[in-house]
Amino acid sequence: MQPQAHIEPSTAPTPTGLGTPHEITHGPSFAMLRVDLQPGVTVVAEAGAMVARSEQVSMEVKMNASPSASFFAKLKAFFIALIRKLIGGETFFVNHFQSSQPGSVWLAPTMAGQIAYRRLHGEKLTLSTGAYLAHVGALEMKMKFGGLKSLLAKEGAFFLELGGEGDLWFNSYGGVHAIDVDGSYLVDNGHLVGFEGNLTFTIKGAGGGLMGLVASGEGMVCEFTGQGRVYIQSRNLGSLVGWLTPLLPG
Amino acid sequence: MRYELKDKPDFTIVHVDFEAPGEQILVESSAMVARAGGVGMQTQMKGGLLAAAKRKMLGGESIFQNTFTSTEAGQDLWLAPGPEGDVELLELDGRSPVMLSSGAFLASAPSVNLDTKWAGSRGFFSGQGLFLLKAEGTGPLFFASYGGIHAVDVGPAGYICDTSHIVGFTGGLSYDVTKVGGLKSLFFSGEGLVCRFTGHGRLWIATRNPGALASFLEPYRRVERGSN
Amino acid sequence: MEVEIAYRPAHAMARVVLERDESIVAESGAMVGMSTNVQMQTQSGGLMKGLKRMFGGESFFRNTFTASGGAGEVLLAHSLCGDMVAMEMTPTGYFVQSSAYIASTPNVNLDTKVGGFKTFFAGEGVFVLKATAAAAGKLVVGAFGGIQELSCDGNLVIDTGHLVAWDANLEYTVGKSGSGWIASFLSGEGLVCHFHGQGRIWIQTRNPAEYGTTVGRMLPPKKR
Repeated sequence: MQPQAHIEPSTAPTPTGLGTPHEITHGPSFAMLRVDLQPGVTVVAEAGAMVARSEQVSMEVKMNASPSASFFAKLKAFFIALIRKLIGGETFFVNHFQSSQPGSVWLAPTMAGQIAYRRLHGEKLTLSTGAYLAHVGALEMKMKFGGLKSLLAKEGAFFLELGGEGDLWFNSYGGVHAIDVDGSYLVDNGHLVGFEGNLTFTIKGAGGGLMGLVASGEGMVCEFTGQGRVYIQSRNLGSLVGWLTPLLPG
Repeated sequence: MRYELKDKPDFTIVHVDFEAPGEQILVESSAMVARAGGVGMQTQMKGGLLAAAKRKMLGGESIFQNTFTSTEAGQDLWLAPGPEGDVELLELDGRSPVMLSSGAFLASAPSVNLDTKWAGSRGFFSGQGLFLLKAEGTGPLFFASYGGIHAVDVGPAGYICDTSHIVGFTGGLSYDVTKVGGLKSLFFSGEGLVCRFTGHGRLWIATRNPGALASFLEPYRRVERGSN
Repeated sequence: MEVEIAYRPAHAMARVVLERDESIVAESGAMVGMSTNVQMQTQSGGLMKGLKRMFGGESFFRNTFTASGGAGEVLLAHSLCGDMVAMEMTPTGYFVQSSAYIASTPNVNLDTKVGGFKTFFAGEGVFVLKATAAAAGKLVVGAFGGIQELSCDGNLVIDTGHLVAWDANLEYTVGKSGSGWIASFLSGEGLVCHFHGQGRIWIQTRNPAEYGTTVGRMLPPKKR
């Protein structure tokens, strides 16, 4: 029997002294994040995520690479970003928000759903790239390629591996659910938000054989083996497109 | 087989817990979110080759369905539809059939019979590539919509509903498709065809309409290259 | 008249209960269902004016629903997923983003020729309405996403794609988000509106143009 832990992402305002003060409102369907900035704090967020800000908060565009990265690491990040842009991935730029006086910035992702908060204490968490929203602190962000087969998957070609000490906010399309894996578990690529723990994964076609791959309509799945936790979202952009396409005019 | 509907009503996802080996559920293709490693999946074409080809030409939902079978107790499966919206569960009792818009079907137990060749479905959805499914038998039936699912208990006064918002209705209702407000209204009003229901039964209406989403997205689509 | 909003926040639908001979004006295409005794009339302000509006890229047709011979109900919904809110009209009035307008009581005056907003929104066909009423009335708006009421107490900068409505007494200027056009383009933010003064601003927690771009580019290309 597989134990199932269902996490309710924290949506209450943070108690002072614990992480960056913030509040997640309008969850679970159209969650929006408000981060309260003090002087000296920088909020890094995915480009395009800003909804509103106090006038005194400044915004600067930067490339999505670790602050301590070397020149070559930055160049590598640049090329990975170009490839992602060619496949149709989202922009690789981030915005840095800072304020010399107290102020707030409101952030929201593109698709409907939840925002989850996680305080990282040195452990690693891997997110599918669309799931990253914002972070505060010295987090290491490494772009990982999912392998050649993953290119066929449209979504999920790249993953973001995060580690270090800091506050992280990630989003899901629809609701987010945690599944504790002990053995093997298959997850449709488009429904994967992230994972952590001692897990390895391979990307494969969903069903058995050629008929299964083409006809099942399932697309690619990630097969996880080991012990750890997988986060899934209750909607999938590819399925939305698949459902809508026959209903389009012409 | 136990099931739980989570993230209701906005982005409802179905969590199925298999209690014994050999339990089965029939699922619309591409609806699987995740499953335990041991759960088997088999793909088949619905209702025979000819009916399947006909549906494919109408541009309706895909002609494939997947059957998931458990190989031991304690395995689980997660299912979700394509559109943003709710999922309803009906336990059919074998007495009254339910008519569903073909795009609304999500999953059912093999004991529920799905009739896709039912003649009464023609002309209902004015060329949107959708048709009516007739579901009868006993067991669970899961259906989904774009938007929330609003149930209206239709009584002697009847009810009028925009056809693109219809999810399904119970067998006791009769219906009549008409234009609203005369010709001028059809052109300028934005309301398309409407359906007037009479009789006794329940009507499920979606609070969102795929046509409106398609119109919204139209300006954002890329233009085909080399087309005149 | 009673307005009840259900299926919040994602699939909100307004259930308007009309008394005998009472009317509500609604955006064309917003009707989901209604009782059989409700009559619908298209209000185009004359056929020519209606056609002009349609070709001017500002299609804004309204229908009037009237309950005849008894009470009746009309169900209204927005085209995208999101919340709805019924606002009470105030002496100052509101500015409303055009695609957010769902319905209003017949005494609410809607001015579609509001100047100074030509480059306000990134999307096509989206403009600003001014809603005013001499007496008490209701305005129903729908959003893409959740609706958040923000209090402007001094200054606030808001991405224009997230604007739903605001108190008409607020001062505002539209500008680029970042410093310089390139920064604005790279940063992913479009235009922002700088608000000054005291008043309320309703924002939607998702941006329709961003959603359109993300989903639209994955759809099969269209002909022409």
